[in-house]
Amino acid sequence: MMKLLMTTVAAAALALTFGASGARAGDKWDGADDLPTNPLACDSSGGGTVAAKPYDGGQPTGAPDKAGKEITLVDVPKLIGIGYFNATSKGMQDAAKELGNVKVTTDGPTEAKIDEQIKFIDNYVTRGVDGVLFAANDPVAIAPVLKKALSKGIHVVGYDANSTPDARQWFVNQAEFNGIGKALIDSLAKEIGEDKGFAIVTSTFTTPNQARWIAEMSAYAARCHPKLKWLETVEAQEDNVLSFNQATTLINKYGDKLAGLVGMTSVATPASAEAVTKAKLCGKVAVVGLATPNAMKPYVNADCVKSVVLWNPVDLGYAATYVVRAVVDGKLKPGDTSVEAGKLGKLTVVNGSEILLGAPFIFTKANVKDFDF
Amino acid sequence: MTSLAAAPPERRVPRWLARHETLLAAVLIVALAILGALNNRFLTLDNLLNQGRLMTEVGLIALPMTFVIITGGIDLSVGSVVGLCAIALGYSWKNLGFPLPAAIAFAIALGAICGFINGFFITRVKVPPLIMTIATLALYRGFAEGISQAHSVRGYPEWFYFMGQGELFGVPTQLWLLVAAIVIAGVALDRTTFGRSLYAIGANETAARFSGLPVDRIKLVVYTLSGLMAGVSAYVLVSRVTTTRSDMGIGYELDVIAAVVLGGTSIFGGSGTIWGTVVGLVMIQLLKDGLALTGVKGDATIVVIGTVLIASTLLASSLQKRRDVGG
Repeated sequence: MMKLLMTTVAAAALALTFGASGARAGDKWDGADDLPTNPLACDSSGGGTVAAKPYDGGQPTGAPDKAGKEITLVDVPKLIGIGYFNATSKGMQDAAKELGNVKVTTDGPTEAKIDEQIKFIDNYVTRGVDGVLFAANDPVAIAPVLKKALSKGIHVVGYDANSTPDARQWFVNQAEFNGIGKALIDSLAKEIGEDKGFAIVTSTFTTPNQARWIAEMSAYAARCHPKLKWLETVEAQEDNVLSFNQATTLINKYGDKLAGLVGMTSVATPASAEAVTKAKLCGKVAVVGLATPNAMKPYVNADCVKSVVLWNPVDLGYAATYVVRAVVDGKLKPGDTSVEAGKLGKLTVVNGSEILLGAPFIFTKANVKDFDF
Repeated sequence: MTSLAAAPPERRVPRWLARHETLLAAVLIVALAILGALNNRFLTLDNLLNQGRLMTEVGLIALPMTFVIITGGIDLSVGSVVGLCAIALGYSWKNLGFPLPAAIAFAIALGAICGFINGFFITRVKVPPLIMTIATLALYRGFAEGISQAHSVRGYPEWFYFMGQGELFGVPTQLWLLVAAIVIAGVALDRTTFGRSLYAIGANETAARFSGLPVDRIKLVVYTLSGLMAGVSAYVLVSRVTTTRSDMGIGYELDVIAAVVLGGTSIFGGSGTIWGTVVGLVMIQLLKDGLALTGVKGDATIVVIGTVLIASTLLASSLQKRRDVGG
């Protein structure tokens, strides 16, 4: 009797599992953050128009006037311990040294979890810092603690991954979302051809910047490369091992149908390149994505990866620090259209409260050796 | 003999049981004093109440987990139940059109159902709790991700945030909820037949069964309670972070079990108190916070928590040995 019950239960469980997994297989997830996309024209060089929106950032209440005085900042990235955020941190230290009256500490969770990130920011708010720099794991969930910081007179500036606009004063955007989307899809189409299949390895489906990039990629591909077949998008949580496993699974699953892998994070791209190398498919499966040059040097030099898209994260951290200093000194106010950022010169303000770093940069075999981050 | 921190009225439980909690409370007070001296913002009311707010989600689940571990079982699926209930809350409100109070009730009921399923398989089909809850850990998380399809649900009305971010008479709302839950759980464990039966089942399940205790029914109840509180915790969490994500609650089971074990509950069952769990919970939360405020970086904090946990387990087992020798 018990045996019969157990067998039925086991069978039902198996059926349920297959049913549930079947519903999700091959889902072409496309960004899911419900914001409008703005794909660029198919042949422009990737500049895009600067949108003139009124300032929509938040403001601190009762911030002490520290113009010209020393300020302490804390930087809470999505997670610590990966090359990308080590680079942004380095940029901040460089800016702090140049400015002379800024101290920046980088501290954050060891996994890209929003709950942990909120706790870190909360603790620093209680400790009392002059400014918080952040790269959000979730745009909406991080808003309450950032608003709390603003209400305690602490300046808040974001970089890399945005929060809702009213929870921070400024956001330093590395490149326009549609610019990144265009650069990635164009690189991909150039390598694999117009009518092949590709898959995407991303961090999580709810991370703000990756979600926006994928939404823009989807819109741009539909517009300019309609014959490209989008096979699947998988999550890899900014974890090396998981990214490698996911990439290998995709290769095994789609076999010949897969001609290209796109890595959306600086962890996913080298892991995908490693998966392609291990499967001995270099040259047959293209790997395109966002990554730091150091991580990709071996693959670019082995001709496994032709081009890597990124901006300079060192510059990103550098710019963010200069923005906070300008805000505290009163040199950057709501409604301004540009800000001075040391060696980067003048950066433009777009979309109300976003500061644009510039256009995405493409690393290839020719120039990858010139960079060290 | 009793310290001011561990003074519940008249325990009929042997003296040695009170000792671990007393020692722990003493360690906690010393630690608080040191951290307070190192950083003058640590012992402020504002900070302590805020920490109370942050520890509610883990605290609510730690209470029924104490019951579960006392009976000799374990429930590793609580984190996934939190994730699933959070998704159910958002999904039923946004996509299925439930009115928000009904969605909240639905999410909590779903938590109870998840706990019930755990309890059912553990008692009727006799699957060991460790195996069953590891399986449901994966199963419920899979459901959460499948249902949500990675969409988060945002844009709740203002009154919804009262539980997670509001204050009642100056104290965070969820802290009132936690305190009420602690009182109820403490009374249930200490003063009712139900509580007494848990100790009996944990100490010797066969003897308990032959003594006529409804062992299966009691176990079913504790696992259902575990799921139910995970559902309530999910509601508090969503209210606090204003959004639902399918990765919510990952890792909660470890935080919960750490708090329970630190508080003196034996992982083998048969002993443990709600008071100990509370001290353990407060200790972990305040240690993490105090260290962070003093400037210790994230990774070092985890090392300290691990060391404290090991030290406490050694302490508990040495007390256990003394008890066994002393009779």
